[in-house]
Amino acid sequence: MISAITTNLPIFVIIIPLFIAFILPTFSRRMKLVEGVVISTETLWLLGAGYLASVVLLQNGTPIIYNMGGWAAPWGIELKVDSLGAFFMIVVTCINLPVALFAKGNLTKEVGAKERVTRFYVLLLLLGGAMVGMALTNDLFNVFVLVEVATLSCCGLVSANSNPRASEAAFKYLILATLGSTFVLGGIGFILNITGYLNMGFAHQEMVQVWQNSPHAIWLAMSFVLIGFGVKSALFPVHVWLPDAHSNAPTPASAILSGLAVKGYIICFLKFMYTVFGQNLMQQFNMHKILVLAGMIAIIAGSLFALTQNELKRRLAYSTVAQIGYLFLGLGLMNTKGLTGTLFYLFSHALIKSSLFLAAGTMIAATGKKKISDLAGVGRKMPITMGVFTIGILGLIGIPLFSGFVGKWYLLLGSLESGNILAAIVIIVGSVLCAAYLLPIIRIAYFEPAPEKDLRDPALPQKIALIMLAAGVIILGILPGSILELASRAAAELLMIQ
Amino acid sequence: MKILLEKLIVNYPYTIAVFLFAIGALIVITKSNLFKKLIGINIMESAIFLMFISSGNIRGAVEPVLNSAHSDLAYINPLPSALMLTGIVVSVSVTAFALALIIRLYKSYGTVDALKIAEMRNEVTKE
Repeated sequence: MISAITTNLPIFVIIIPLFIAFILPTFSRRMKLVEGVVISTETLWLLGAGYLASVVLLQNGTPIIYNMGGWAAPWGIELKVDSLGAFFMIVVTCINLPVALFAKGNLTKEVGAKERVTRFYVLLLLLGGAMVGMALTNDLFNVFVLVEVATLSCCGLVSANSNPRASEAAFKYLILATLGSTFVLGGIGFILNITGYLNMGFAHQEMVQVWQNSPHAIWLAMSFVLIGFGVKSALFPVHVWLPDAHSNAPTPASAILSGLAVKGYIICFLKFMYTVFGQNLMQQFNMHKILVLAGMIAIIAGSLFALTQNELKRRLAYSTVAQIGYLFLGLGLMNTKGLTGTLFYLFSHALIKSSLFLAAGTMIAATGKKKISDLAGVGRKMPITMGVFTIGILGLIGIPLFSGFVGKWYLLLGSLESGNILAAIVIIVGSVLCAAYLLPIIRIAYFEPAPEKDLRDPALPQKIALIMLAAGVIILGILPGSILELASRAAAELLMIQ
Repeated sequence: MKILLEKLIVNYPYTIAVFLFAIGALIVITKSNLFKKLIGINIMESAIFLMFISSGNIRGAVEPVLNSAHSDLAYINPLPSALMLTGIVVSVSVTAFALALIIRLYKSYGTVDALKIAEMRNEVTKE
């Protein structure tokens, strides 16, 4: 019995959240039961992901291969739990649990009506299941299907409340994201036509041999994949949907969207670039230079846009645009340190941004105002919420002892190792700009006179969720240990593929 | 030039797919009517479907059903068509969701024009 569970765990971590998502509506009237089922599923899910990750870590990087239905690749669909997949699985489950906990008992106000609460949980679990699937699957078309599941549930989460602004943001997001996935599907089509395989490993082997026959088609495939995933993960010039969608969504949804959803597409992009095309082809077509350039532009432009925003959630959303730039910059550095930095920064940003959005949502709900200038004195009335917010800000700037520092440090080392001084300068300037647009919030919240209004910290589940995320930021900053090990091993594995 | 033209004509499904893709993308970007944007997305997706399916086609080949009497037959590759079946399902669900959102937007703003909606929203924000 136990062995049946452990051998089939790679498919269970994908299927069980999806399955639970679809049976939730059957008892949607019993709110307590729904919340209990969701939180226990998330906990079990975290345990399962942790088990798989520890197995991969103990096997010294030998991936767990799972053939769906017993059909071996290239005929069947293959799930591959390698270091990268295990790492991202941990990220997804670590963010999902606190967000589900934060939503407990708090959602009715956010989404407007009681019957919408269950739908919100359905979408949350669907999104999580699709994210884990994207990390584990080794099949190109499967990636497309899971990306679409994730996109549709993201749009559903944005439009979870009946606010017309949220519907408008969701429509904009839906159109642009579908544009992106059409490009991704086109890219997959080119890869299938060039190689004849949909399995990533087989496609790569074939690609290395035949790429000289059709360099134009490969160039097209690469650019289609870059544009597609670029739109979906809000790379700078095509980020226009992100601020609207993330600032109008309900609080737990904006935490999961900003913290997690955009990262899933980056992991997919990473898999396409490094495991299907391989680093030699990337260098051949100068893809690494394009990525570094796009990342640098995104860091500077995103930070400058964030400086001009007056609404708290919009400023955080533009800050996400800037942080996405760091991740793309790291992907283009093509060395172990840069990739390790990208992966670690991805985890750290997921923790930080979700804690920032949850804390911001709590403060907005308490004060009833969206502007940053209305937060005067909140820090003294809501010590836990603002404390978590402060930890998040310090982590995002990259102060030592917080998780953002470790990621930025590795990115800096990576860019120096690849001889790209400009990238190193941009990383530091980005940190300074980040301090410039986030530190004023701390000043306003702590050192300005407090309003007469009675403000209080949220209820217990919300407090626990906030503290869990803040603790994650600090633990990753002081003892990065096995997470850093997993990230650096994933980077080394990706760079071994020629 | 002549060779290029010949290639474009011989591989006409791909040529049509490229044109459809460009037309769809242009509609999505330039039109402000929400329905037209949605139709543009659908045209783009159809272009990709056409590209996939024609890549599986072999002229003169038969449908992929094993025929023991004629073992030397060439078969059409069924894989791209099977994939596009899934692609069509995805595209239909995206369309359905987008239509639902358009209904909601029409109920609250009374128009389906993206520019007018943005105008009305900005006025509300100023007040």
